[in-house]
Amino acid sequence: MAVLESGVDQTEAAGNAVAVIDDVRSIIAKSLNIPVERLTPETRLDELGAESLDVIEIVFGLEEKFDITIPLKADEATRLAAADNKSGGPEMPFSTVGDVADIVQKLVDAKVSPKVAQ
Amino acid sequence: MNRVVITGIGVVSPIGSTREKFWSGLIEARSGIGPITIIPTERLNTKIAAQVLDFDPAQHFDPKKLGMLDRFAQFAVVAARAAVQDAQLDITEEIALQAATIVGNGAGGMNTLDDSYFKLYGQNATRAHPLSIPRLMANAACSQVSMDLGLKGPTFTIASACASGTHAIGQAFQMVRLGQTPVALAGGTEACITVGTIKGWEALRVLSTDTCRPFSRTRTGLVLGEGAAMFVLETRERAVARGAPIYAELSGFGMSADAGDITAIDPDGAARAMRAALIDARVNPEDIDYVNAHGTGTALNDKGETIALHKAFGASAEHLAVSSRKGVLGHSLGAAGALEFAATALALHHQTIPPTANYEEADPDCDLDYVPNTARNSPIQNAMSSSFAFGGLNAVLVLDRA
Repeated sequence: MAVLESGVDQTEAAGNAVAVIDDVRSIIAKSLNIPVERLTPETRLDELGAESLDVIEIVFGLEEKFDITIPLKADEATRLAAADNKSGGPEMPFSTVGDVADIVQKLVDAKVSPKVAQ
Repeated sequence: MNRVVITGIGVVSPIGSTREKFWSGLIEARSGIGPITIIPTERLNTKIAAQVLDFDPAQHFDPKKLGMLDRFAQFAVVAARAAVQDAQLDITEEIALQAATIVGNGAGGMNTLDDSYFKLYGQNATRAHPLSIPRLMANAACSQVSMDLGLKGPTFTIASACASGTHAIGQAFQMVRLGQTPVALAGGTEACITVGTIKGWEALRVLSTDTCRPFSRTRTGLVLGEGAAMFVLETRERAVARGAPIYAELSGFGMSADAGDITAIDPDGAARAMRAALIDARVNPEDIDYVNAHGTGTALNDKGETIALHKAFGASAEHLAVSSRKGVLGHSLGAAGALEFAATALALHHQTIPPTANYEEADPDCDLDYVPNTARNSPIQNAMSSSFAFGGLNAVLVLDRA
């Protein structure tokens, strides 16, 4: 990460962040068939009526769009989804749309960092 | 109604393809899970499966016949031949005309499909092999069993994903019980360890990358397996009259659908199938000594199945011995219910409960007696074998000591 931060123009990085959140919003909106305007960075996935397979499909959409791999097990997807959001368990890697965008951004950054290092 | 007994058992499994090797592997908790060697793994994140490695098709089929057979059909035919031999069943013309052949498989000839599509899309081949369709069709295994043994009675395939084998045995049981046929060949088969299939399972995020640990707090998911088990089922009267070996009596069959989630287990739906099987077998929950669980080793199945067992068995759940075969056999989808039915029949026959392999730590969500890691000699009068499939399809069989 340090290599990346020193090697990338800050305004370009900010621009990428906007693009990521917009893509994340549109992929979630499409999977759940809801208007993209409903989704802000603070919106929680478990408030959107997502089921576990919806979460898995959203993660697949993000992986395809950004060419990244997001580690997520099916049971985590279930706990993220509305149907089982009160069962507790270990802390989830993300719960809001903004969290998802952050994770995607980190994975995208990690992917480009070797190139920046060259 | 006829009483129905199991007189022949044939298996093709990751721990061996004779009944003796299969049983010793189960009671020793000798896991058939290992590094994938039967297909290329460069493009897979999952490098393990429970493969059938001691199976040489050329030992069982001449080259011309082999050309007709996908791996899933090879397994079924070899298991069916073994079951017939085990039952010392003489397939007379009279029996051939009446015997039912019912095979469960979740998919079909996936090796053939994968190979064909790779050639077409990956290598730009211009034509498919002329035997592609006869090899890959979902009923290929069932039809090949019927052709191989010359069985000409009611013959069809049942596809209900991971419950296929159990549904097939249950259907055959009902036909023999009702007198529609005196003898049935029934079971399940699957050979789904292909790049395309594993990619699909990886995308569902339920595969473990190390091993399968059913009901253990440390479980990390399921591991795909393959294999087949076939059975000779016949009326008790007929079996006794001809002095056939009897492994166990098949006494009850229960089914239900969740009509809910396409992948997640519904404890209510699973419990309804268990209760239906108990009622069909005319036994009470406290009469069941042993349950062969579906126990896939995913966080959700094992928790949901435990809840279902509590719902179906009430207070007597505390005294139940419950164990899963999937740490040893992996999850062979449509074959799983059949291989596990073989294990359950053999448990009754040997009066020994095969253990849950790879069990490490108790999970508060899974609070039953899972017979961890070590087989248990214990009197078993009645046993249950459960399968809960994707699509919310549940099938449960009850067996009685013969």
